[in-house]
Amino acid sequence: MSEQHRFEEEEFSGVFTGKIALRILTRIKPYTLWVVGFVISIALVSFLDSYFTYLSKRIIDEGIGAGNISALRKILIQYGSMIGIQAANVFAFIYFAGVLGERVQYDLRKMMFDHLQRLSLSYYNKTPVGWLMSRVTSDSERVAQLVTWGFLDIVWGTLNIITATYFMITINWKLGLIVLAIIPVLIVVAAQFKKKIIVEFRQVRKINSKITGSYNENITGVRVTKAFSRESQNMAEFGELTEEMYQAGFRAAWLSALFLPVVMIISAFALGSVIWFGGLQAQIGGITIGGIQAFITYITFMIWPIQDLARVYAEMQRSIASAERIFSLLDTPPEIFDASTSLDALSLRGDIEFDQVCFYYDDDDEIVLNDFSFRVAHGETIALVGPTGGGKSTIVNLLCRFFEPREGRIFINDQDYTTLTLDSIQSKIGIVLQTPHLFSGTIEENIRYGELDASKEEIIKAAQLSGADDFISTLDKTYQEEVGEGGNLLSVGQKQLISLARAVLRKPDIFIMDEATSSVDTITESLIQQGMENLMAERTSFIIAHRLSTIRKADRILYIKDGAIVESGSHQELLKQKGYYYRLYTQQFRQDMALELGAPSLYSS
Amino acid sequence: MPDNAFEFDIRTTISDNKIKSLWQLMRGYKRVYLFAALSLGFAAAFRSGTYLILGRFVDELVADNEIGKFIPLIALSFFGLAALQGVFTYISGRLAAKTSEGITRRLRNFLFDHIQRLSFSYHDKTKTGELIQRTTSDVDAVRLFFADRAIGLGRVLLLFVVNLSVLLTLNARLALLSVLVVPFTVALSLIFFRKVSAAYEDYQDQEAILSNTLQENLTGVRVVKAFARQEYEIAKFDQENSGKFQKGRKFFTMHALFWPFSDILTGAQMLFGYFLGASMAISGEITIGTYLAYASMINWIIWPIRNLGRLIVQMSTGLVSYGRIQEVIKEQREPLSSGSYLPQSDQVEGSIEFKSVSFAYDQHPVVLKDISFVCRPGNMIALLGGPGSGKSTLVNLLPRFYDYTSGMISLDNVDLKKYPRDYLRSQIGVVEQEPFLFSRSIRENITYGVDYEVNDDDLFAASKAAAIHDVILNFSKGYETIVGEKGVTLSGGQKQRVAIARTLLKNPKILILDDATSSVDVETEALIHKALDKLMEGRTTFIIAHRIQSLMQADLILVLDDGRIIQQGVHSELINQPGKYQEIFNLQTHIDSALEKELSLLV
Repeated sequence: MSEQHRFEEEEFSGVFTGKIALRILTRIKPYTLWVVGFVISIALVSFLDSYFTYLSKRIIDEGIGAGNISALRKILIQYGSMIGIQAANVFAFIYFAGVLGERVQYDLRKMMFDHLQRLSLSYYNKTPVGWLMSRVTSDSERVAQLVTWGFLDIVWGTLNIITATYFMITINWKLGLIVLAIIPVLIVVAAQFKKKIIVEFRQVRKINSKITGSYNENITGVRVTKAFSRESQNMAEFGELTEEMYQAGFRAAWLSALFLPVVMIISAFALGSVIWFGGLQAQIGGITIGGIQAFITYITFMIWPIQDLARVYAEMQRSIASAERIFSLLDTPPEIFDASTSLDALSLRGDIEFDQVCFYYDDDDEIVLNDFSFRVAHGETIALVGPTGGGKSTIVNLLCRFFEPREGRIFINDQDYTTLTLDSIQSKIGIVLQTPHLFSGTIEENIRYGELDASKEEIIKAAQLSGADDFISTLDKTYQEEVGEGGNLLSVGQKQLISLARAVLRKPDIFIMDEATSSVDTITESLIQQGMENLMAERTSFIIAHRLSTIRKADRILYIKDGAIVESGSHQELLKQKGYYYRLYTQQFRQDMALELGAPSLYSS
Repeated sequence: MPDNAFEFDIRTTISDNKIKSLWQLMRGYKRVYLFAALSLGFAAAFRSGTYLILGRFVDELVADNEIGKFIPLIALSFFGLAALQGVFTYISGRLAAKTSEGITRRLRNFLFDHIQRLSFSYHDKTKTGELIQRTTSDVDAVRLFFADRAIGLGRVLLLFVVNLSVLLTLNARLALLSVLVVPFTVALSLIFFRKVSAAYEDYQDQEAILSNTLQENLTGVRVVKAFARQEYEIAKFDQENSGKFQKGRKFFTMHALFWPFSDILTGAQMLFGYFLGASMAISGEITIGTYLAYASMINWIIWPIRNLGRLIVQMSTGLVSYGRIQEVIKEQREPLSSGSYLPQSDQVEGSIEFKSVSFAYDQHPVVLKDISFVCRPGNMIALLGGPGSGKSTLVNLLPRFYDYTSGMISLDNVDLKKYPRDYLRSQIGVVEQEPFLFSRSIRENITYGVDYEVNDDDLFAASKAAAIHDVILNFSKGYETIVGEKGVTLSGGQKQRVAIARTLLKNPKILILDDATSSVDVETEALIHKALDKLMEGRTTFIIAHRIQSLMQADLILVLDDGRIIQQGVHSELINQPGKYQEIFNLQTHIDSALEKELSLLV
């Protein structure tokens, strides 16, 4: 529970600090020209918009008011050419900001993905995939938005206010100052309002995710609901939720609907004032008719950015929090990494030794292996058996250097494996896991994952050895058949066979099978064994399995319990001891047989 | 509750014409919504009013008729009209929100109830993700349709109509010449938004591909590391990432082209209007005040039109979403409370008879064939058979999760189909092999099946009998511990015992057990069996047997193969009959001797 808490969004403040700003700026430094491009174009947009209004004023005053048709033409021509320029500006700012946003997003995602590939399994063990997904997808998007549209909003808004002010002061400085006086009022009102609205929308989002959760359970748990006839009560509970949602949604919506009119009324007040004072002035010739018209438009210019201010600010906060999360991910160092002195292991063919290894997964976790030592000669096949949680999978994890011993050392070929490069170790190990993971794509692509430049023949050969070829050839498109997302279109047994073929294709020096064929039927399994025999004979192999036929053939069986080897020896030796292995074997034997014959389990505790 | 949110039956609104269907869906809100639209019209009219007053003010100013005393009045009416405009804008927003939120609640409630009342067969063939999509994003699309799209379309049209009408009264020629470009703008915007929405979909699809690639990489991190394929993965991700960038660039380029182009088009129209109006003003055809009002109003006619295309395209996606929701709504519900027979007593006796019952899922081959057997109250029936032999289907017929297709099942000598489903289900408890728990507190999970307040004594008694009480107390929050992702993850054995406690509290007369303990360790298995024995006391029990004890105790053993009962009887009979049961049972001796042999090879 507490572990999960560190992934809650609240942890990141969203406070804009110089440090964060600097880091974000460093990221976009290569694109300085793009930023300059859209800042200039949006500045021009803002200026020209104000200038258009100024031209409209001149149409009225210098054209109509003065009754001067040639002046009118001149102004209109100027207006027309400005429209052309403005179009170019609009193109430029949309293009620059839009494409830059995509570019920044691309960069951030790439950076995070690359970093994720280097992070150790220990990080993945304590970080939910969903958390990582949101960092790479939505947080990167938000930061990209911040440096483009967010920044653009700020520049545009500020410039709108400045240019509008400039023109108003130019037209009539007294009236201009009156209008300026309402800006602080508008800002205060807007900020207060938006704060409320943002709180409401947050509430709406919260209830909305509850509703989605309810639907999810309603659908996945529908059989239980039916069995317990809970329909009415469920409906009543859900009704409360939708009522809550209705209230919150309605409140958020009408608050938003109220906001604009309030701003409108305040600005109408400003306009009224302009007419009041301006009208009097007009009498004495202080402001022109066109000037009044222009003031009306300039006031709108100033209102837009102000009413948007709070939204932009809220979004900025969220984006900063996103940036903080992204940087926290990028700042996480991998626990296992190559030292500059690390050497490439040329081969892993040789003895493997665990020397007084002590291991626990996390500081407050229990110790899994304690003072654990054993030595395996090159070419040996070792079966690891024993109860769940005894430490079998941990041994495999350490061997693959997914984790490193907390104390003690592991030697390969009498060389401490932490002095070797990770890549050179892992590229010489072939591992098959109980829950096989395939990638979207064809079967061939998935097997090829083991050896990227393998020929088609080699792939088929590997599939044959691992017993996968039989079922593959019955498929419509054989090796070109799509496996679906995560291999969904195949059964677990089929996935296991493919992941076995993938490991076989790799021709590793060390072979590891962690319940690799647990979901494969017995006939296929015996086929696999024949195929694998040669393969395993030349390699050091570690097998975790519960099928006896697999275990029996091992050179040595290690019975692992509570992080220690309690029995070790060949099948026959261990049976004679009549200890743990003997008990496991006799129980398992009965279960295996019963399973094979489709009978209920005849042994019982 | 102000709304008939629970009673409103959306099925009555279904129609092939989606607009008509949505109109029906608005029942009770039609007037509210129309008034929302109407208010927009008023707001637009008041806005035009302010411009007219402005024009009038200017004309008076020019004529220099003792303007001084009118100025406060003009300023006030200017302010007053703006205030009215604000009020109506607000009213419109509020009413539109009321409508959209109300209709959304209506849809959500109905869908929730509808889904839980659809048949097992429907749920068997429907993917969870699809239904989630219908109930969340599709519903939200409908909400937006009412909250934003339809009302937005109304706004654009009303602005156009109101302002144009006012302009027509000012000067018809000027008004008409000023909207020359409108049909082009509408067409252009329609074409553009249709294109851009396709490009956007493309862009979103690529995003989905990208996040799938990412997810596969993250969930398969062990494989990536085991094969040291980091570089390969980086290249793969980069390819999709670049693809996303390309599509994004295309999308923004389209926008970057459309907006300036339509700017030029609309700007040219403005310019033309200015020229026309100003010339008329100079020649004295219209007053300068009229020109002023005109120049303001024309903005509200030709600029908003550019959004028409967006609104129409978005409305059509809303309609598509609603079409998908309709598909779900059209599905037949399973009637829960209808039945011609309701027993007087609260509890059934529990005698059950199958008379040559057969069953097939719709359109599929027959799963059960000619099943006949008799079960007396309190009997224990064990079902034995390999995977696909029909064991689970057989027990699923009892609570009428599926209805048998021929023959007859009777409960207490009454045809099962005459019982209302909810009564029947209240009499039957099911403990599944992998029970489903809800992400609520453990207390809520255990009391899930009862509709009265359960006191702690009863709750604890049930948990103790299910051998889960001590486990629960070990959690820091005890019975209030939340189960699932947001709380504590229970092991398979713990889940099963919570499910047993849940069924104990429900206290059904008939029990269906999938007695599977394959995934739990020996100690837990013993605990579960103890709990199950407790549960079975005094109930008619159907047990899918995975262990020999269940068989030996059973009052009747049904051996199933390929949907048929191939043998039935008690253990002592069956063991002496030649047949599958004897074969299976003899396996024990067979296996023992095989083991004997294996061990004897050790020298």
